Order: sequence, then C-alpha cells, then structure tokens
Amino acid sequence: MDSVLFYIQFVLAPQMVTGLALGVAVVLVALGLTIIFGLLDVINMAHGEFYAVGAYLAVALGLAGINFWVLLLLIPLIMAPIGYAVERGLIQRVFNTGEDRHVTTLLLTFGLAMVIEEFILIVFGVETMRPASPIPGAVEIFGLFLPNYRLFLIGFGLLVVAGVAVAVYRTRFGSMVRAAAFDRNMAASLGVPVSRVYALTFALGVALAGLAGVLLAPIYSVFPTMGRDFIFIAFTVVIAGGMGSIAGAVVAGLLLTQVQAVSSLFISPVWSQPIVFGIMVLVLVLRPQGLFGRLGHA
Amino acid sequence: MLDRLSLSMRASHILVALLVIIALVFAVVAWSTGDRFYLRLATEALIFAGLALSVDILLGYTGLLPLGQALFFGFGAYVSALVLREVPSFWVAIGVVFLSTLVVGLAGGLIASRARGVYFALISFGLAQVVSKVVYNIRELGASDGLRGIPILDIEFGLVSISTNAPLAFFLFTLAFMLILYAIAAYLLDTPFGRVLIALKANEKRVPFLGYSIFRARLAAYMLAAQIAALSGALYPMLRGFVSPELMFFAVSGNAVIGVILGGVGTLAGALYGSILLTVMRSVVGTWTEHHLIVIGLVFMTVVIFLPRGLFGFVRPRLEALLAREHRP
Amino acid sequence: MKTKLKGILAVTAIALSGSGAAIAQESVKIGVVTPISGTYAPIGQQVRWGLELATKQVNEAGGIAGRQIELIFEDSEANPSVAVQRAERLFEVEDVDFLTGTVNSGATLAVGQLAERVGKLMATTVSFADSITAGQCSPNVFRVNARAGQQSAALAAWVVEQKPNAKVFYLGPDYEMGRSTVAAFKEKMTEFGAEDVGELFAPLDSQDYTQYFGQIRAAQPDVLYTSVAGNDTVRFLTQMQEFGLLGDMLVVGASGTITSQNITAIGDAANGFGTGVGYSTRIDTPENNEFVEQFRAAYDADPDLYGTDSYGVIHFYKAAAEKAGSLEPDAVREAMRDLTWMTPQGEKLMRGGDHQAQQPMYVVQINGGSFDIVGKVDGETALGADLCERF
Repeated sequence: MDSVLFYIQFVLAPQMVTGLALGVAVVLVALGLTIIFGLLDVINMAHGEFYAVGAYLAVALGLAGINFWVLLLLIPLIMAPIGYAVERGLIQRVFNTGEDRHVTTLLLTFGLAMVIEEFILIVFGVETMRPASPIPGAVEIFGLFLPNYRLFLIGFGLLVVAGVAVAVYRTRFGSMVRAAAFDRNMAASLGVPVSRVYALTFALGVALAGLAGVLLAPIYSVFPTMGRDFIFIAFTVVIAGGMGSIAGAVVAGLLLTQVQAVSSLFISPVWSQPIVFGIMVLVLVLRPQGLFGRLGHA
Repeated sequence: MLDRLSLSMRASHILVALLVIIALVFAVVAWSTGDRFYLRLATEALIFAGLALSVDILLGYTGLLPLGQALFFGFGAYVSALVLREVPSFWVAIGVVFLSTLVVGLAGGLIASRARGVYFALISFGLAQVVSKVVYNIRELGASDGLRGIPILDIEFGLVSISTNAPLAFFLFTLAFMLILYAIAAYLLDTPFGRVLIALKANEKRVPFLGYSIFRARLAAYMLAAQIAALSGALYPMLRGFVSPELMFFAVSGNAVIGVILGGVGTLAGALYGSILLTVMRSVVGTWTEHHLIVIGLVFMTVVIFLPRGLFGFVRPRLEALLAREHRP
Repeated sequence: MKTKLKGILAVTAIALSGSGAAIAQESVKIGVVTPISGTYAPIGQQVRWGLELATKQVNEAGGIAGRQIELIFEDSEANPSVAVQRAERLFEVEDVDFLTGTVNSGATLAVGQLAERVGKLMATTVSFADSITAGQCSPNVFRVNARAGQQSAALAAWVVEQKPNAKVFYLGPDYEMGRSTVAAFKEKMTEFGAEDVGELFAPLDSQDYTQYFGQIRAAQPDVLYTSVAGNDTVRFLTQMQEFGLLGDMLVVGASGTITSQNITAIGDAANGFGTGVGYSTRIDTPENNEFVEQFRAAYDADPDLYGTDSYGVIHFYKAAAEKAGSLEPDAVREAMRDLTWMTPQGEKLMRGGDHQAQQPMYVVQINGGSFDIVGKVDGETALGADLCERF
C-alpha cells in the first residue's frame, strides 16, 4: 500500500504535472498553426521556423540587454509584420492559381522553411544557445518538486490561449475572421475586407509562433534545426482537435502529451510517437472533422 | 479522333522519348570519356525519378499530396536488400518486392485512402515517419546504421547478363526499367480507370452517380503508386550496395514532391524530368556552395509562385496544340 | 556462351586506382565528407577546423614528402545515402588519395563499403560505434579516435572508485551509437559489480526529457549514465537541474555528450559530469598546450575531441604516406598498420589487427566550464581485445 502511494506521489503525479507543462508548450506552438489552418486553409510548414526565429530574436535581443519581460511583448510585435508581409508577398500570390490551395501553399511554405533554416544557420552559426531562466528556483508542494518557470509557463500559456479565444470569439476582428472562414464570398459581400483579414490572421499566427519561441527558449534551448521539433506533434494536435478550433487544440494538446507522459512510464519512449500517431488516425476515422469541428462552422 | 486526355498522354510520350534520346547521348559521351561517377549518379537520378513518378500519379491524377511516399521507396529498398543478401538474384528480389508491396500497399491504402486533402498529406507523412522510426529501432534490420553487404549482381537475361557494377550497362538497364514502369502507369491511366480518377479530382460528388466507387478508385491509385515507388526503390541497393532508414525520411519524400512540382504536376514525363533535374542540381550546387538548401528552397518557391504548373505546364500545351493540328481530319 | 557487359569499364577502374606514382609536384588530395548542414553541423564544424588547421601547418612545413595537401569538402547531410554519393564523387571525379570526415556510424560504414569497392582508404575521426573496428571492420577503414569500449573502460573504473556497488541507470539516444555506448558501459559496470536499475532509449531530438524523469526517480539510482549528444544533452541536463534531479547523483556519460560546442548552453548543469575521453584541453603537455593555443587563435573556440582527432588524422596520413614512400592505397595501408604517430594527445598506435587507434584514455570531470582530468588509464588496458576477423 505504501509503495502504491509512494508511486503515485513521487512518480505518477510529478510525471503528469511535467506532462502538463509540455502540453502547454505544445498548445502554444499549435495555436498559431491551427488559426492559420482554420481560416486560410494553409498548412504552414514554416511555422516551426517562425518559432525558431522568435527564439533566436529573444537570444540576440537578450544579449543586447533587453529584459525578458519586455521581450515577451516585443517579439510578437516584431514577428507580426513579418507574418503580414509573408502572407501578402508570398501566400496570397498562389491563392488563386486554380490549383489546389492546400497543396500550393503547403509547398510554398515548405520551401520557405528550408530558406529560413539555412538563413538562421548563416546568421547565428551552429552553436547551441540558451537564455537563462528568467524565474530560477523551484517550489516544493506535497513533496512534488516544481520549477518556478514551468509553473509560470503553465499559467501564462493558459492566459495566452484565453486571450486568443477572446480575440476570436468576442471582438469585431474575431467575428470577421470567423465570417471569412465560414464563407469567403459572403463575408466579402457583407463588406469584410477579406484579404486584409487573411493577412492579419496570418500575422497573428506568426506572432504566436514567435511568442512560443521566446517562452520556450529557456527550457528547450536554441539551435538552427529547433523548428522541426514540434512540427509533428503540433500538426497531430491541430488535426485531432479540429482545424481552427482553439478548444480542440487545447484539449488535444493536453490529452496527447498526457498520453505520452504516462505511457513513457511503462513502455519505451521510442513508441510514444507511433502511439500519438495511432490516436490521430483513430480520431480521423471516427470523427473526420476532428474533436471540435472547424473554425466558423461550429 | 483524340480527346484531350489521350492527347496529353501522347504529348507526355513524346517528351519521354526525348528524355531517352538525351539519356542515350549522355551515356555515349560518359562512356567515351571513361566516366563512372556521372553514370552512376544518373542511374541514381533515374531511380529517384521512379519515386517522383509515383508521387505524380497520386498528386496529378487524384489530387492527393503524398508527403510520405518515401515509405514505399524505402520498403522496396529494404525488401530487395534483405532478399539479395540471401539469394543474389534480381528476378527473385523484384518478385518478392512486387508481392509484398501488394500487401503493404493495400494496408497503407486502407488507412490513407479514407482521408482527403490535407488529411491525406498528413496521414501519409505520419505513416512514413512512424515506419521509419520503427525500422530505425529494429536491430535485425540494421537499426539506424542500415544494412550493408548487398552483393554486386549479375542480372540474367537468358543469353545476356548485366552486372550492377558496370556503370554503363546498369544505367541502360535502369533506363529500360523506368521506361517499363512509365509505360505501365501511362497505360493504366489512359484506360477508363484513369478517367475515373481525373473525374474524381474534378468533382468528387458527382462520380458516385456514374456508378463508380470513390474509395476503390482511390485505393487502386494508391496501390499503383506504392508499387511503382517500391519497384524503383528495389534498384537502390543494387546500385549503392546498402540501405539505411534515411531512405524513408521526409527529406526523400519532400525531394520527390519538389521534383514533381518542378517538372509539372500531372504530366508523368514532367515528374521524370523534374526529379532528374533536381538530383543533378543538388549534386552540382552542393559542390559549389555549402548553403545549397537555401538555393534549392528559393528555386522551389519561385517555381511554385511563377510556374505553378511546372516546366511542362509551360511546354506541354504547345505540344498538344501541335499534335491536335496533325490529327485533325 | 555469355556476353559479359561488366568488363567494359574494368580497364578504367584499374587506371583510376593506380594513381600512386604521380608527379612529385601534384598536391595530395584528401576528401572530406562531413555534415555541414542539419543536426550534426556542430560536429562537422570541429572536424573542419581540426583538418584545416593541421593542413595549413603541414603545408607550411613542406607538406607530405614535399607535396602540398589539398582538402576537398562535401556536405554529407549526416545521411548515408548522400554521404556515399558525395564520397563517390570525391573518389571517382576528384580522385582523392584519402577520405575522412564521416560522423554518424551509418555514414562511416556505408562509405567504408564504398572505399573497399573502389580500392581506396578512409578514416573516421568521430564515429564511436564499436562495430566499425570489430564485427563490421573493413581492410580499407581506419579509426583514429577512441571507440565506445575504450571510453567506458576508463570511466567505469573511476565510477566504481567513487561509488562502490552503485545503482546505475542508463539513458541513451535510440540509435546505434546510443545503444552500443550504453551496452559497452553496462558490460564494464556489471563486471565491477554495479547494480543495473533501468535503461531507457529516448528518441533523437526529444524536446522534453521530463517525461522520463518519473522512471529515473522511481529507480532511485546513485549513478546516471547517458550517451545523448549535442542539443539533446543541453535539454536533458538543464531539465534535470530544473527539476532538482541532479542532487548528489553522479552523472557520467559518453565522451561526445558534453563538448566545447554545447558546454556554454548547458552552464551550471554540467558541473560534476564525468566522462571517459581521449582528449581534454587540460592535458598538460607542450604539444597540447601549443595546439590549444593555435586552435584558439585561429577559430576563437576551444578544440574538442572531434577537432583534435581530425587534426591528428592529417598527421596520421602524413606519417603513413611518408613511411610508405607512396600514396598507393595498398602500400599506405601496410604503412598505417602498427604505425605510431604524434598527436596533441601524445603518441597514438594504430593497431594492425583491427585498424583501431590505441591511446591513453582520460577520465574528465567538468568543473566551472573546464574539463579537469581526474583519472587516466593506459592505452592497452583501455583498448581490449581485437575482435576483427576479416583480416
């Protein structure tokens, strides 16, 4: 009996809490992806690279003496115009070529991802960098050892998600976004500036990727190929949750990372990716629209 | 009287015939200068062109973007390698690859053909990712190091035999092999089956009214593509003498897609040209600058934006117009 | 009556391989196939620096028997298929005399097979996997760096001294190098009577190692052995520190786990980490001090084991070629066998039986960013038996 309690308190519970921190990280990365996907129907293959750019900017500006808390605000503000320009300058060019939009935009952003990754390599070199944790130390609750920064990440991450949800469901901009996602032509005829809404949404997605970069850099460190890390799990979260659904991304993100965390106690972590993938296929077979359906259609 | 589809198929045949002529001229030049490397590089380019052909069948004829087609290429390569290590016979290896791909292609198709659009792309991506991870961790398959020691073969044709180590002979053999794969694909896609696929791509909702099953047509296309990818992959260990899990990685699938886009989606011949061009470009640019990925990425983005139908989307309509004029009574 | 087409190019092949008796003024070409892009790019950078520094110095001192060395680089993308294609270009088109630079064991083994088929020589300066100079050895492949077995021999002896009868937990990356380093260390530790309390293989490029902490915690080990490398080490150790797991656990690992490339990013979390390694900048000999100084002056960075062994391979080839008096592969191979040559680590011996270099091994403990030497095992004891049966 004692050993069971010991196991729950010192093995299972910490495992689930650390899983939660990872879950919030995954949700943060997936959030921008799912918004872009839900509205523009664009699979942004360069999302991971925008996340990397955010992290590198955080390191570079941090070395220049700018405070971490300022960066949390500053980096999304730098990334948003970049996103806007990419949408206007690249994505929108292939929107109406008559080919399948999914495919052309996916391919375009795939090319962009290659270019950004090499660009980072040229500018910053191959060395791994890591900004110091802005909130060092840890607390102990019921014998559970929890780093302060992870706790902050969980809280702040949920705040960001709530903020984005409010922006999409409670503001004028949000209703234009949802209208455009539901029916582009109808929205346009009602006076919604659809192409600007598209560009702004893309900018929001890229800003969120950058924000995730700043937040996660102290935990996951910064190096040129970091953008590839979260892509597989983030796409899985977006698909399983339902494209464009914020609630879906949160639920799927937290659920899948809990599955990973708990399953790795019993079976080799090598199999965690196949398990997560299996769940995604299962969801698609049972509910092709994802757990929560797509943006604007709920 | 030729309709549009037969016309475009005929245009493709002419371009492939041109490719064969270019290949033969290249072979003569390379042989007369005593080259080994470029002949073998060209052989590898042809093998990967087979993978691009299979991507084009899915992307061009069903509109499904396979982001993990390297799965079947790698599968063919591994099966071929395993067989050749035990029984060094080309025909046995090809036979085993063909039969096992029927089974694996069916299994993959049952999962993937349910999905459409981006979902198909991501399932295909995920399948390849998972299988390559599994291979990566199986000791018996050489794990992350792959398998080596695939012997140099003599491919027997009754009276004649071709060594896989003779660059010119094996290049010509691979060229013939790829022509056969192309001919089979082109023939099948020019039958009513191919037309159903094209109809599906154009308007999925109407096809069932014509009495065709969407699912079965998709599955058949998927299995055809899997077969072509696997048979191409089967030649890889004969050329290089080893296989490694990297053959199933995303980089290989991604390259095949880039090749198809470069050449022109849905043109078959374009996939061959695009893929060969890409292999040559990578090799040349890679020697010229270490930041070759940036060059490939930029070229690729330019093509997607300015030539969405690829190089052949530009050439073929002119060729078709020419052919149509000739066939007018 | 069979018409054999395969003979067509046999003549050319012979012509290509017989380039030994070249004109004295022609340069010696050394091909380098190494990862310049991708996850292993940091290792590729050290390889490049080491080779370029040695080449510059050897050339200034008159080259190899009066001939200048020319290095030709190709990006392997850490992918065996790419590495083999690039290596073939170097062998056939550039007609290099020697090849080096391969990093991951898959690439080393695949390029080694190619070298054997075209009749040229190569050496790795990085790959650890024991199999390269044991079960899968090749007459055309040499290894100048220490393999996993050598590293663990030195380290295990030291660990047992620190923590007798320790409970040991093993965590490696899920690929061949990871598995072979864990297996080699575990074998040594079991010999010394340590208790095995668990092993785990984490996928390469795992973002978050916290999901494995549950298992580690449950096992309550005294010693943790890891053979993750590069960015993975940064994440693993800093996350261990973040979660207060480092405590009084002794963390030890493979020699590539912490290098000068990732030590800054790891920071404090690296303190106390012990490893068995063939090189440390703190080896206090005139040769090494001079080498470290020159390396720092040239690249503004410390050399690590990869950079140093890559520096050493140029001297290895030079010594062998001058001893053979020719660049002809068969003659050079003979010269390489049982050759002793000077490196920053001191004198190394290339064992003729399996083409594995023998050298003294050090136990290094990290303290405030410096790799302090805390133990040493002589070369012969560390190397162990010759398991190569092919030649």
